[in-house]
Amino acid sequence: MAQTLIHAAPAEVHSAHAHHPELSFFRKYIWSEDHKTIGLQYLFTSLFFLLVGGLLAMGVRYQLAFPNVPVPIIGGLLPRWLVQESGAIAPAGYNALFTMHATVMVFLVIMPLLIGVFGNFLIPLQIGAPDMAFPFFNALSYWLFLLSGLVILSSFFTGSSPAASGWTSYAPLSSHGAYSGAQLGQSLWCVGLFVNGLASIAGAMNYITTIINMRAPGMRMFRLPLPIWALFVTAFLLLLAVPVLSAAAAMLFFDLNFGTSFFSASSYGQPLLWQHLFWFFGHPEVYIMILPAMGLASEILAVFSRKPIFGYKAMVFALIAIGVLGFIVWGHHMFVSGMNLLLSATFSFSTMIIAVPSAIKTFNWMGTIWGGSIRFTTPMCFALAFVSMFVIGGLSGIYMASTPVDLFIHHTYFIVAHIHYVLFGGSLFAVFGAIYFWYPKMFGRMMNETWGKIHFGLSFLFFNLTFFPMHNLGLNGMMRRIADPTQYDHLRSQQPINVFITLSAFGLGLSTIPFLINFFYSMFKGQKAGMNPWESTTLEWTVPSPPGHGNFDVTPTVYNGPYEYSVPGMEQDYLPQNQPAPETARIAAH
Amino acid sequence: MTILRKCPILVLAVKRVVRPAIVLAGFMIAVLVLGTVTSSAAERTSNLWWMPEVATKSGKQIDQLIHFIYYLTGIVFVLTQVVYVYFLIKYRSRRGVRATYSHGNNRLELIWTVIPAAIFIGLWGYSNHLWWNVIHAEPPADSLEVAVTAYQFGFSFQYGGADGKLGRSNVNLIGNNNLFGNDPNDPLTRDNFQSGILELPVDRPVRLRLNSKDVIHAFYVPQFRVYQDIIPGRTIDWVWFIPTQIGSYQLACNQLCGSGHYNMKAQIEVVSKQEFDKWYKEKSAPSNKALAAR
Repeated sequence: MAQTLIHAAPAEVHSAHAHHPELSFFRKYIWSEDHKTIGLQYLFTSLFFLLVGGLLAMGVRYQLAFPNVPVPIIGGLLPRWLVQESGAIAPAGYNALFTMHATVMVFLVIMPLLIGVFGNFLIPLQIGAPDMAFPFFNALSYWLFLLSGLVILSSFFTGSSPAASGWTSYAPLSSHGAYSGAQLGQSLWCVGLFVNGLASIAGAMNYITTIINMRAPGMRMFRLPLPIWALFVTAFLLLLAVPVLSAAAAMLFFDLNFGTSFFSASSYGQPLLWQHLFWFFGHPEVYIMILPAMGLASEILAVFSRKPIFGYKAMVFALIAIGVLGFIVWGHHMFVSGMNLLLSATFSFSTMIIAVPSAIKTFNWMGTIWGGSIRFTTPMCFALAFVSMFVIGGLSGIYMASTPVDLFIHHTYFIVAHIHYVLFGGSLFAVFGAIYFWYPKMFGRMMNETWGKIHFGLSFLFFNLTFFPMHNLGLNGMMRRIADPTQYDHLRSQQPINVFITLSAFGLGLSTIPFLINFFYSMFKGQKAGMNPWESTTLEWTVPSPPGHGNFDVTPTVYNGPYEYSVPGMEQDYLPQNQPAPETARIAAH
Repeated sequence: MTILRKCPILVLAVKRVVRPAIVLAGFMIAVLVLGTVTSSAAERTSNLWWMPEVATKSGKQIDQLIHFIYYLTGIVFVLTQVVYVYFLIKYRSRRGVRATYSHGNNRLELIWTVIPAAIFIGLWGYSNHLWWNVIHAEPPADSLEVAVTAYQFGFSFQYGGADGKLGRSNVNLIGNNNLFGNDPNDPLTRDNFQSGILELPVDRPVRLRLNSKDVIHAFYVPQFRVYQDIIPGRTIDWVWFIPTQIGSYQLACNQLCGSGHYNMKAQIEVVSKQEFDKWYKEKSAPSNKALAAR
């Protein structure tokens, strides 16, 4: 490893400690204001929620394959809101299962994994800053997030049903306890989301301020690594979209508990108002959950292709375009909702247009691996799979963007397949790749490659076996959110596909085990990682693994763009951002 | 195989990933086949992986659009994935071969911005044409009008009676005593009759008047390629279609509406004109009698 810049790293780490006096256990691990610790707190918490959400998904799949069959072994132990006398899952319990699965996965897993973990961990390290602009708000943001998670989880233990009107909580089903049978659960859902929104807003404000103000000298905006650009755009989306959800959740809470009627038709409220508010948040939310994943995957693809990102500026402009257009496409969730038909036509147009920057990004990723010298490490495998799965999820989105086709496949399993190709095959694969990639920086040790490959192979296989056949189910007219498909003539012959999907989903659930073992085992027994195990160019790889409090002993100066790999005229095939190019190097402008 | 043996990662991958994967996949296919054979389903025996046979006129045009998008996305999918995998193999890391140093190419960026944009706008034009001129065109004057009210958890239907006209309705009048919100001051509503099933004549346009009594429901018939949410507090009267196939279908609620949602459905019978007229006469007889007696 060629660490040309920091010569005597161990000694300087020591001096870093001298700047920052030893912290008490409480200040170091509990109320920590160090962005790296906060990032890890987010990581452990959201991995725990990933298991919760995954278990809920297993329940959903069990019911769809074996409706009215008592749950083996644990059936008798399950709570009354979930199961009938026989131990089989009740239809109302099923509604709560998928509602909570999606709520947990969206608000407590994907968002915190992408934004909480990598936003916190990477932003200061990649821009050359000692910490976030507002460390206190950063800590507050984590604890608010944890609180929101606990509030949402607590609804499982109230004795009555958790929220059961879908993660979209369409009113008036959600706004009257009598309609959904989950007055308390739905109220807790509102409180949880409101608190979760506060955490997001605090985080977003912090990210924007930090990226604008705290970049190291020479770190121009067009020298920012792509994860930072992605998180920057995402932070704006959060700041503008999340308050709308918070307001909507508060209104729903009032409707539920204080007799207001924002959303109930019987008192001249508007059920469609909820949908407009929810999707005005909900569609930017979709991009909130994919843009950071795009950034993380771009970084990994460049490093292991040993090439600069193809079309760096095009990538940045595409991110911005998606961020801006993301605010005018929400109506494509509502083509069949009963809103004005002319609106459907306009939203269909903006939706077609927003597909263009996504296409640009895909072609640039392919351009990045073209002519590369590709190293198939575990993070690279996940990043490569991300691109491939994102293509499938993007192409299936075109069906829904076409209004007449949406008439047929709206609210069928086609959309379930689509969302999981984007959120699991897209976002979560990128997160897995990023965890393998930055693990050495987080914990100072490498994760095991072989077990990583096994994890990748099994997830990739079972992911596709689980979610691809859902396209077929959707085309066959299988509605989403029905507890028992065998009630319908046209679905009875599809039941074997449902059984197949459920078995694959169990496989997908089990494929997390090698990851978890690897994750915890490597923390103590993994091979020690040096400063820069992947031979990468960005600033976080110029400090020890894990970096000390305050990150950089000397504020780094940035001389180059983020992805100077395989520069002609250089021996070494990467040029760190803080290292002036040797005279022989022929760096091209971009 | 010799090339395989030379590469330790591939050997490992085959041993630890590919082989168990094949065994598992084989197991799953066995389950699938077994399930297909043993399932007692008599409803559909062929074409299980594709759309149910279309049974409306506009549905046929929607299917054409779906096929168009299917081939379009299919071609893009195959092309991109083939090129992608080819790149992955061709540009794998090899000793002594350095990656090409390139920051991109503006002409390529322009090409892959303009071509997708043109395709997407074209697709929007095609879709939008269908949306306005076929699906949401003005329904023909001879359309059969049927009022549909959805409630937790079922559907009720109302026909116009002897005069064939539903008459005025008001969404605020909907309640247990007046499920369809009929305006009592409009004489046209007096001979209306209710039905628990949706009986439709083949080849005649049907126009729906959709209302909900409580929460949001939906009118979804996959064979008709028709979906519309039914919202409380608002009458939706723009859905119409022409059934083209005699047969029995199921109307399904496809918007989560509570604990009974999974089983909220109604029977649809598309019958010949003669059969429909006979049924209609029988059903409207009682209300005609009541009117005559008044």
